[in-house]
Amino acid sequence: MHASIAGIEYVLPEQALTTASLAAEFPDWDVEKIDSKTGIHTRPVAAPDQCASDLAELAARKLFERGLVKPEEVDFVLFCTQTPDHFLPPSACLLQHRLGIPVTAGAFDFNLGSSGYVYGLGLAEGLIATGQATTILLLTGDTYSKFIHPKDKSVRTIFGDSGTATLVRAVEQPALGPFLYGTDGRGGPNLTVPAGAMRQPHSPETAREYGDDSGNVRSLDNLYMNGAEIFTFTLQAVPASVNGLLAKAGLTADEIDLFVFHQPNRYMLEHLRKKMKLPAEKVPVTIEHCANTVSGSVPIVLKHAGLDGKLQPGSRILLAGFGVGYSWGATLLRWNQLATV
Amino acid sequence: MTRQEFLAGLDDAVSLPVGTLQGSEQLEDLENWDSMAMVSFIALADSHNGKQLSVKQIGQCKTVAELLQLAQVEE
Repeated sequence: MHASIAGIEYVLPEQALTTASLAAEFPDWDVEKIDSKTGIHTRPVAAPDQCASDLAELAARKLFERGLVKPEEVDFVLFCTQTPDHFLPPSACLLQHRLGIPVTAGAFDFNLGSSGYVYGLGLAEGLIATGQATTILLLTGDTYSKFIHPKDKSVRTIFGDSGTATLVRAVEQPALGPFLYGTDGRGGPNLTVPAGAMRQPHSPETAREYGDDSGNVRSLDNLYMNGAEIFTFTLQAVPASVNGLLAKAGLTADEIDLFVFHQPNRYMLEHLRKKMKLPAEKVPVTIEHCANTVSGSVPIVLKHAGLDGKLQPGSRILLAGFGVGYSWGATLLRWNQLATV
Repeated sequence: MTRQEFLAGLDDAVSLPVGTLQGSEQLEDLENWDSMAMVSFIALADSHNGKQLSVKQIGQCKTVAELLQLAQVEE
């Protein structure tokens, strides 16, 4: 048996940071320029008491409410998050209980960012192909906003919080693959929250604020991103992984109906699209109202592509995620009769 | 991409009217030479000849002319 997507739902927090409110906070800053370059107008921000697992739970409940699956059918929960409820226990275990999923189900968290959804699909394919599971809830959830210093414009303008839930079911015909993965830990320091875990526990020293050359303020307890380094990595890794995957599958770019990329910001996506000579209509951008949702971005784009009628039985879709780690992954998705968003 | 086209791209990156930058400008004097402008410069260099620049090298540039040299834009 093989894994196939059988439904996708997502949830954004009610509260949002708009470009207008950023402009009011930073009157000396050309916010409109940033808005036009990033393509992001609204950044969803989780409430103070709202965790990533809460958003993923709401997304999963939407799948249940649609009648696509019952909690008692689920035999595995995969939760991709970098903002868990606790160091331990795993949030996936708490979600199993909260969602009423049988105690016979497997569940674990995995810590990845923008590449996480592709890795999750790879894990789901492995679990189903080896007979370890048949009905998987692949959840993503992150609340980067809780890591972001309010005076750090460099990341506050980019990231949004979200939760997604994808139902993955066993089917006879392969619907996913091949998979291509990549990792380069040298890039770890370029997108990081340096302190707060075991390597550098939270302390008064890690909480000390410092400013950078662009006037941003943060501490070692906050999210830091070196945007230029991330972009340089992306320029190398994304075309290479797309071309590598196509070669592995024996296909050309013309034979792909849709390229669903992680959504870092519109400027980077546009440059990558032009660099790879892909037509705009084949590279959807869904970033305006949800911002860069890290592991949530690929399923959110996929959901909207389905709602827009861009996914038809037989469609070949290339999924690619890339970012924190550095970590990247790509796969091909063959839309089938059972598949739905 | 000609030198003039590259400079026009840099004008846009630092929010100046096209035709402003000539090459001799000090980067520290450009109000909008920030991380976003650096990303735009990396994209320009990539579009120009596919050359991928290291951020460290860009950080060592003091003038617009040095950026053009790094991106191998001909005089």
